[in-house]
Amino acid sequence: MAHAQPNPSALAAAIHTPFGVQALTLLGLIAIWEFIGRSGLLFPELFPSIVEILQSLWIYVTTPVMLPHLKASLYEVGGAIAVAALSGIPLGILWGSKRSWLEIVEPLILYAAVVPKIVIFPVFILFLGIDVQSKLAVGAIAAFFPISLLTIAGMREVKKVYVDVARTIGASPVQIAKNVYLPAIAGQVFTGIRIGLGAAVTGALLAETKIAKAGLGFMIVEYYGQFRIADMYSLLLFIFILASLANWAMKSLFGVLSPVSRKSGDAGMYF
Amino acid sequence: MSESTRLTAWRLGIIFGALLLVETAVRGGWISTFFLAAPTRAVIVLWQQLLHGNALSLTGITLFEIAACLVISTIFGVLAGFILWRYKLIGTSYEMPLAALFSSPIILAYPIFLVTFGRTSAAVIALSSIFGLIPIIMNTKGAFQNVNPILLQVGASMNLSRQQMFRHILIPAVAPTIFSGFRLALTYILKSVLGLEYVAQVGGVGMWLSDASYKFEIEEVYAGLFGTISLSILFLYLINRCELWFRK
Repeated sequence: MAHAQPNPSALAAAIHTPFGVQALTLLGLIAIWEFIGRSGLLFPELFPSIVEILQSLWIYVTTPVMLPHLKASLYEVGGAIAVAALSGIPLGILWGSKRSWLEIVEPLILYAAVVPKIVIFPVFILFLGIDVQSKLAVGAIAAFFPISLLTIAGMREVKKVYVDVARTIGASPVQIAKNVYLPAIAGQVFTGIRIGLGAAVTGALLAETKIAKAGLGFMIVEYYGQFRIADMYSLLLFIFILASLANWAMKSLFGVLSPVSRKSGDAGMYF
Repeated sequence: MSESTRLTAWRLGIIFGALLLVETAVRGGWISTFFLAAPTRAVIVLWQQLLHGNALSLTGITLFEIAACLVISTIFGVLAGFILWRYKLIGTSYEMPLAALFSSPIILAYPIFLVTFGRTSAAVIALSSIFGLIPIIMNTKGAFQNVNPILLQVGASMNLSRQQMFRHILIPAVAPTIFSGFRLALTYILKSVLGLEYVAQVGGVGMWLSDASYKFEIEEVYAGLFGTISLSILFLYLINRCELWFRK
């Protein structure tokens, strides 16, 4: 029975694809990592074996060890997104509905958006304490800007003629909001919420690394303090995977709810 | 009164109105000074710190960190962006991972940088440079990709050499887009530097804010916050002015 021989030209063709290059890069990075870690060339403690990191990650996924911290972080991020959406969308609609208001308010929001939100954390600690509420507040203020700014962007895209037509046929303000404004701005609002989620995760977890009693950010600093580097890496990996999954889930959900793709511009700079 | 003066007056009115409200609330005893400092007190403390304290030297450290990040990001970012454009396969392969890296909460990895570089400005510079690097790479790649082919055809019809084509056509064509990336990078760097200084308690203005909050020096906390916000706003204003000047 003849053994299947790998076809060199097919292999070369597979490598010469974006996926091939990405896979090769990943393998190369893993090899370099392992070489540095095992050879002791550069801080061996900083380069624990990939197997050790994955084992630690497996423990997080299969045992309830991270559950209380995950719960605390999810509460903060979920609450932050809810507060940011409930304040950012109505304010975005309000500001975006009148040109004169928008001209006054928009530069103020743009300038405020550039301020790193984590620096407001001491104020939240003073008012809300060091429990989850202060982290929720940082996450909320971080998510507020992309949500409100993209709602404003959505409002700007609503053609005046649609509103005029609705008024001509006798639609009430509520009907205009429901049937004209909401469908028109939905895509931008969803993009804002998705970007806001990223901002809320970063804001809340970063605040946890500063002062907290529980949470994934708190655990990162705990592991750092105990010099459990492999555990710290695996936790970071765990957070990145969770954030990517949440982003992907939101993208898919919003794609179904509002199939028209819209540009988000450089909204990322506002969180 | 011109339209822009009227708008500026409105904006200043909103800001000073809000500050006046806070001032009245604190001085009137409606909000405890344990939570909130009167804005005038915060400004006085900031001024005193600038004159007699170390606020000026801390601002210098922060500005140095921002400048270092910007230099690193620009050198490596433009180079990498050019390579990603020049070699199409590499460009297509790395575009998505770079975008994914940029949208992930990489700032949470700051303890790794603290372990590697120690609790120094180097850790802040190393991590914040990544935030500046990615927008510059993406914008540089995009800028080269979107050069109007007519410009290149004109260059070819004039028998320009490769060097002449690069110098007289490509560079002027890509400069505005690269500058947009540079502007975006500066914004990200500013946020990252100030945020990291505060969280890791190293470096300049952010560290001052962190120290003040640990000591429960309420007026100093608000003075530091006021200084940080002013620095961010001043930076954005200057970037916007530079961009306007650059595009003229």
